[in-house]
Amino acid sequence: MIARPATMIPLILSSILIPLTLAMAFWWTAEDIDQGLSQKIFYFHVPIALTSYVAFGFGAVSAAMYLWRRTEVWDLRSYVGVHSGTIFGTLVLLTGPIWAKASWGVWWNWGDRQINVFLILFLYYCAYFMLRFSLDEGERRRTASAVFALLGVGLIPLSFLAVRIAETLIHPTVFSSSGAAMPNSFLLTFLVGFAGMLSLMALLISVELRGKRTAARVLELQRAARGEDA
Amino acid sequence: MLPPEVTLTECSKRFGERLALRKANLTIAAGETIVLLGPNGAGKSTLLRLAAGLLRPTAGSARINGVDATSAPRNLRAGMAYAGHRSQLYRGLTARENLELHARLHGQPDIDVLALLEQAGLGDRAEERIDGFSRGMLQRLALVRATAHHPVLLLLDEPASGLDADGRALLDQTLRAGLGIRTQVIASHDHDLPTRLAVRTIRLAAGSIA
Amino acid sequence: MIAAALSIARVKFVLEIRRREVIFAMLLFIAATIVIVHFALSGDAGAGNRAAAGMLWAAVVFTAVLGLQRTFAAEQEEGALDALLLAPIDRAAIWIGAALAQFGFLIVVQLVAVPIWWLLFFQNGGPSLPTVLIALVLADLGIALVGTLAAALALGARTRDVLLPVLVLPLVIPIVLAGVTATYGAFGEEVGGLRPLGFLALYDLVFVALAWGTSEHLLGD
Repeated sequence: MIARPATMIPLILSSILIPLTLAMAFWWTAEDIDQGLSQKIFYFHVPIALTSYVAFGFGAVSAAMYLWRRTEVWDLRSYVGVHSGTIFGTLVLLTGPIWAKASWGVWWNWGDRQINVFLILFLYYCAYFMLRFSLDEGERRRTASAVFALLGVGLIPLSFLAVRIAETLIHPTVFSSSGAAMPNSFLLTFLVGFAGMLSLMALLISVELRGKRTAARVLELQRAARGEDA
Repeated sequence: MLPPEVTLTECSKRFGERLALRKANLTIAAGETIVLLGPNGAGKSTLLRLAAGLLRPTAGSARINGVDATSAPRNLRAGMAYAGHRSQLYRGLTARENLELHARLHGQPDIDVLALLEQAGLGDRAEERIDGFSRGMLQRLALVRATAHHPVLLLLDEPASGLDADGRALLDQTLRAGLGIRTQVIASHDHDLPTRLAVRTIRLAAGSIA
Repeated sequence: MIAAALSIARVKFVLEIRRREVIFAMLLFIAATIVIVHFALSGDAGAGNRAAAGMLWAAVVFTAVLGLQRTFAAEQEEGALDALLLAPIDRAAIWIGAALAQFGFLIVVQLVAVPIWWLLFFQNGGPSLPTVLIALVLADLGIALVGTLAAALALGARTRDVLLPVLVLPLVIPIVLAGVTATYGAFGEEVGGLRPLGFLALYDLVFVALAWGTSEHLLGD
């Protein structure tokens, strides 16, 4: 099987780093005094969240590039970035309740700031797909998608701020082990987890982008074969 | 302002699966008038919209004086006019208000709008909301709107449709007045038009220039 | 640019005054929403200052979405949007002009709705009105800006009517969070002083900047 470096490297990295994170989480780091074993999910939950931000950021930067250069490949990159970000976002919303149940005994903790922000972003980026697929393929669809992806990037910090400001409505739960005063072993495991998730994101993006570009190329060839250039 | 040259180079436009215009190559010289003929669906409207910069080509280019039509700077757009199948007017406004808006947006608020309406035979309906206008009157008003700001590039898509005899006379008069003075591209079903004006014909069929 | 935007906004106001399509619908809708939410939160949940604050903001946002549906309706009837795109004006002026008009409609609707809200819920004194009004004005600006932009994005979509709320509502959640918090503050609760209002202003600035940069590309095809 021939695979390109853009796919092989993330594949290798993620297949090493993610199991490594698991190992480090369960056998190397100490158990948290307050939250016990359930705290371990922190090494996945937060990296997944951060990775989805990175993916959305990649989607937004590609969108800006599309608006500037107007070449189709940037639109595909932007779409794939947003798609990966949404996949990771879904994982956040799935692992969140697991952590919440284990830590606080409820399936949904409205005090979890992160998860509130993610609710907003998840709704927003799902709307991205609704927008994209309600427009016919072409210039308008690519432009509208790009603009929406870019606006999303403004929404991310504003959502964070809004949730913080609305603390009288949403009493925040403070996490003891997620601050800067984390012991080194926790921090290292977290970083390995983050690197692993980033590699997984790179893998997803690379694979999906490859697929989309191939499909576009096939379409181009079909058209040329029919004698309809462009 | 001098009339511009309009050039389409290998210009194609695809809508989803349908190729509306296929590798069009066309140069319209500065001040030239041409008539686009062809059956419905041949790509005339697409070509005009590409020339106006309202559509972005899928491949190739549509340029006005060498500048991409879609990124035409404001001073170039100030001299352009396009009238398509729809009147591009606000139904809830009167004829006069529509033209006044047009004048303001073109930086020429002092255009004597009422005089223009008089000349077009719409003077007595100037203060009426256009949602009461017939199709032919809307066409006439659209023509007035297109020429009110003295454009140097006039793109008209089947301007005679729905016009009565007076309206057609007005159209002919407008086009003649522009010969040699502005660049005019007119899509039409009227096969006599190019002969009457003594201008070049371009025929389109199934997206290709014949 | 400002002149063009104002011309466009003025046209939209004139059209609305003549046809009165949108404003009355919005007025009825906001009243109905307040009543529905109040009944839905019956009992203890529906009583008290916090509930009243929530009802106002929920109603404002949903009513705004209703109004936004009609943003470019006048331009689409006869293809006037083409004329605006071809005119020698900044493309941003089209979006800003439409947003100014929407902003105006929201203010008019709230001029009626806020007194009614007050009468319904605050028999013995209510929140500090200036704070609530400033919050509403800032919020209306933000909603009008992002909402008009979303409406422009949805032009040409087959499912335009159902698409627009889906695009706008996530964008305005931060506005609701800050607006409700500011309203709590108007009741005397500790909300960090002017921070909620500051946030609303920041929101407006961020989206004006983002949308301005992108609107150039937006309305063409």
